[in-house]
Amino acid sequence: MFKSLIEKNEKRSQLSMMAQYLNTCFMISTIEHEYLVNIEKGVVKNVEEGPFVMPSYVFKLTAPKNEWIKFLQHTPQPGSHDIIAMLRRKVLKFEGDLHPLMSHLLYFKLLLASLRPAESKNEN
Amino acid sequence: MKIEKEPISGQYGKFKIDGIDYRIYWEEAGQGIPLVCLHTAGSDGRQYRALLNDKKILEKFRVIVFDMPWHGKSSPPENAKVGNYKLSTDFYISQIMSFINGLELVKPVVMGCSIGGRIILHLAINFPDKFRALIGLQSAGHLDPYYDVSWLHRQDVHGGEVCGGIAYGLMAPTSPESDKFETMWHYMQGGPGIFKGDLFFYKFDGNIGNEIKKIDNSKCPIYLLTGEYDYSATPEETKSLADTIGIEMIKMKNVGHFPMSENPKEFLKYLHPVLNKIS
Repeated sequence: MFKSLIEKNEKRSQLSMMAQYLNTCFMISTIEHEYLVNIEKGVVKNVEEGPFVMPSYVFKLTAPKNEWIKFLQHTPQPGSHDIIAMLRRKVLKFEGDLHPLMSHLLYFKLLLASLRPAESKNEN
Repeated sequence: MKIEKEPISGQYGKFKIDGIDYRIYWEEAGQGIPLVCLHTAGSDGRQYRALLNDKKILEKFRVIVFDMPWHGKSSPPENAKVGNYKLSTDFYISQIMSFINGLELVKPVVMGCSIGGRIILHLAINFPDKFRALIGLQSAGHLDPYYDVSWLHRQDVHGGEVCGGIAYGLMAPTSPESDKFETMWHYMQGGPGIFKGDLFFYKFDGNIGNEIKKIDNSKCPIYLLTGEYDYSATPEETKSLADTIGIEMIKMKNVGHFPMSENPKEFLKYLHPVLNKIS
């Protein structure tokens, strides 16, 4: 689900500029699946899919798969359009050392939103 | 080269608020019924740039927008220090009333968004006879904290970056990117701790409970409009507020927390009929 964070990497040079001093590793969880994302100088270098035995990461974002699917629509519905909106609905949990996330909040929002399809289709 | 001039004029003035002098900046355009517009927490009057340029509105209304103290081009008071700004309900009411009295406005309409949408409820409770009408954008009676606001002001996080990031998410994905960017840019330009200080009013001091029942719509008409993408003051919360007051709310499609700034074209479709009723 989040593996293509790296596939789309090439298209993100502008986004990387927003986080050029950021080096971190974070976990995205859909509860059933986990993805470990490595960022160097604002560039997603690696996305590893679990299961993991002893994963090491700085912070973790956890939401059920169906909530991530709603977030990743071309035009998400109200309440699913932003990670803080999901936090407000208590369907997304932020855990760990949140400093990299909060100091690069817009970068992470746009990074995750970059997985949305460019054209509207299959929206329910 | 010929430039396209806007009909807006800006001015500075000294206002006494709670006994202290404040240098306040405001912009205005149009003539007729005074319409005082209140910007959101951590931003400034530029949010109303579209209203100040809307020919239809300017025919009947004198649109006036001031930057709150510490915001935009308005100054902090003398001997101010970084980090001790906290907006209280009383100070917010005082600055609005000082501004209205200072400009000698008689029975103006006041329209506020977010914190402005909250304070108009306090104005309705305390001074219903002073206003021709009150318009609340993104109004809710109270808001429980849903994220840790200490991130908005700490020395190891760039305040402009984090405040901009928070504001960006409150807008609709359907709003035009250039207007969203400008709305976010205003947040990125706020002073350290100012957005957080405003949220003290929004999330704590300005919360209204049962006092909402004191609002009498027959004394001063109230209009409530809320964008569907707002998760700070949700349409459901505005609906509950409207039900208590006994009025209808207007739910605006395709906009979020900053209707007048993130998608003015869409917002004006909803605002024009309301202003027609008031005039």
